[in-house]
Amino acid sequence: MGGNIEHRFSPYTDNGGTTLAIAGEDFCVVAGDTRQSEGYLINARYSPKVYHLKNNAVLATGGMHADGVALVKRIGQNLDWYVHKHEKQMSAPALAQMLSTILYSKRFFPYYVWNTLGGLDENGKGCVFSYDPVGNFEKQHWSCSGSAGHLIQPFLDNQIGHKHQSNVEHHLLPLDQVLKIVKDAFNGATERDIYTGDFVEIFIITKDGVTVQKHDLKKD
Amino acid sequence: MSLRGCLLFWVFGLRGLCSLNQFQLNLLNLLRSEYDQGVNTFSPEGRLFQVEYAIEAIKLGSTAVGIQTAHGVVLAVEKRVTSTLLEPSSIEKILEIDTHLGCAMSGLVADWRTMIDHARVEAQNHWFTYNERIKVESLTQAVCDLALRFGESADGEDAIMSRPFGVALLIGGVDEKGPQLFHADPSGTFTRFDAKAIGSGSEGAQTELQEQYHKSLTLREAELLALKVLKQVMEEKLSGANKGFRILPEAEVNELVAAM
Amino acid sequence: MSIMEYNGGAIIAMKGKGCVAIAADRRFGVQALTLGTDFQKVFPATDKIYFGLAGLATDVQTLSEKFRMKVDMYHLREEREITPKTFAHMVSSTLYEKRFGGYFCFPTIAGLDAKNEPYICNMDGIGCITTPNDFVVSGTAENQLYGMCEALWEPDLEPEDLFETISQALMNGVDRDAISGWGGIVHVITPEGVITRTLKGRMD
Repeated sequence: MGGNIEHRFSPYTDNGGTTLAIAGEDFCVVAGDTRQSEGYLINARYSPKVYHLKNNAVLATGGMHADGVALVKRIGQNLDWYVHKHEKQMSAPALAQMLSTILYSKRFFPYYVWNTLGGLDENGKGCVFSYDPVGNFEKQHWSCSGSAGHLIQPFLDNQIGHKHQSNVEHHLLPLDQVLKIVKDAFNGATERDIYTGDFVEIFIITKDGVTVQKHDLKKD
Repeated sequence: MSLRGCLLFWVFGLRGLCSLNQFQLNLLNLLRSEYDQGVNTFSPEGRLFQVEYAIEAIKLGSTAVGIQTAHGVVLAVEKRVTSTLLEPSSIEKILEIDTHLGCAMSGLVADWRTMIDHARVEAQNHWFTYNERIKVESLTQAVCDLALRFGESADGEDAIMSRPFGVALLIGGVDEKGPQLFHADPSGTFTRFDAKAIGSGSEGAQTELQEQYHKSLTLREAELLALKVLKQVMEEKLSGANKGFRILPEAEVNELVAAM
Repeated sequence: MSIMEYNGGAIIAMKGKGCVAIAADRRFGVQALTLGTDFQKVFPATDKIYFGLAGLATDVQTLSEKFRMKVDMYHLREEREITPKTFAHMVSSTLYEKRFGGYFCFPTIAGLDAKNEPYICNMDGIGCITTPNDFVVSGTAENQLYGMCEALWEPDLEPEDLFETISQALMNGVDRDAISGWGGIVHVITPEGVITRTLKGRMD
């Protein structure tokens, strides 16, 4: 009779997409496109991967969508527990450390997610933390990751970090300029990366709360 | 303000021994019944005798005083040096929990070890997970969570003691809400105080604190007040020659005593 | 690791208003080890045509010599200057000759034609040409350069602006690639002549 047929299940998939975050003096901007794809298929044109959390931090998740959803749910639960236990909202830097701990706790079956966390620190200054799937993280002024991360990163270095601009005063940019740069970055990335497109959602975090903008990107 | 600088650890020697007064003992004998044996059985009047006895046990312990000021918390403990052959430095009744937290005790020292170990683990766990220092209140709550984990184990939890803890704690520390002082007792109840005394001399000490405390105490004034209160309830004379001297250099204690 | 990433490198060409620019980094290395910081990856074909070769360094040198010979032979036989478009097809067919066992090089060509119209193109290792209207990039920093060029490039740049644009694109791009960089070289080709400048960069 016929031989044995072997079936294999792969627990991971890459749903593409690009995210970025930029810290300002008294604000933070976190953005991500909304396309969700698998190979050459587009599963959804509006499937947000940037989440506004209860403590007014914003988490951008790239990589595998299902893992991102599960992770955000777990973080939400921990945020609630923290409020019950300590009678205060978790600060963004505390959340940053906790996220690293959660990710590392799954060191040998990781959440397949590249996180970027934005918020305000204890002094009201913008802060950005970026992660790898197993919890290695770093506090940065700007960061991007995902399928077009390689395309956007040098652009942010240049425009936000003023790299290779010798005659320019180095300072943190105001919000309106940051928003322009974010839109330029995503329009550029959409042009060349097939996994980035449809819409970009931009979250703006200030001491007064979080606002969201949605802009069109090319849909081809 | 440095977190560490806000906590003072003093211990003083004393050879006298306090005990329950006769009235209290008689009262206890009257209340005793078959319900005081099981550690997790309520009496028909709705009381847990073992827990209440544990609270009584504190009153046998050495006196400890805690005073909160706007600049920090002072913890002071009387150290009973019952023999001239006793090495005073081997008696520890004030310990550090974390760089921003200290704890003074009265009661059974051995039980206190378990609680301090737990408190230190809780403080470090919080730092590990959140990269921030745990609040004084949260730490106190964490310690009190231990208090009723005696008797037969509940589901999923390990009972670590066969009886209630025989210690009361004064937990002092500084967090984002400023300096705070908490009192925790064997029933797991905790309360915040501006100034609190526990142990054998607590009644007299508390009255004295009540009269002397005011919100605008400086840290140094609080140090002196703690000394003064302790001196009044201690049976032996307080002096720089006390062998129970700890942590602060002897010269500093002498200077403090002289300033009283 | 792909043989295209053995030595590392980054090349861009851009169109401007009546001018073109071509730029490359100057690193020569073997995987993570940097061995040279003045390696030539862009070569002149004529006074108005430059070509860059990204890929395996040995093939870069072999092909640059081969193309020099072929341009000279064209010049002798035809008694006229080769045009950018003709040169591109010459490069393409040279690569396609080795269709099954080819060179590990992706050429980029930038030049002005007889009417001083800008021409840029690049191709893969077997000679498939693309001729866009804005810019072309290749090398191990390709992704970074695409991102930079998409965001910085705009139509009708004058020579000096084109120089600044291509330089910023190159320098910021290679800084995010571990095996490109160590300075750069830029040629801006105008009807009046070629402006060549070398750029200092990070040394890591």
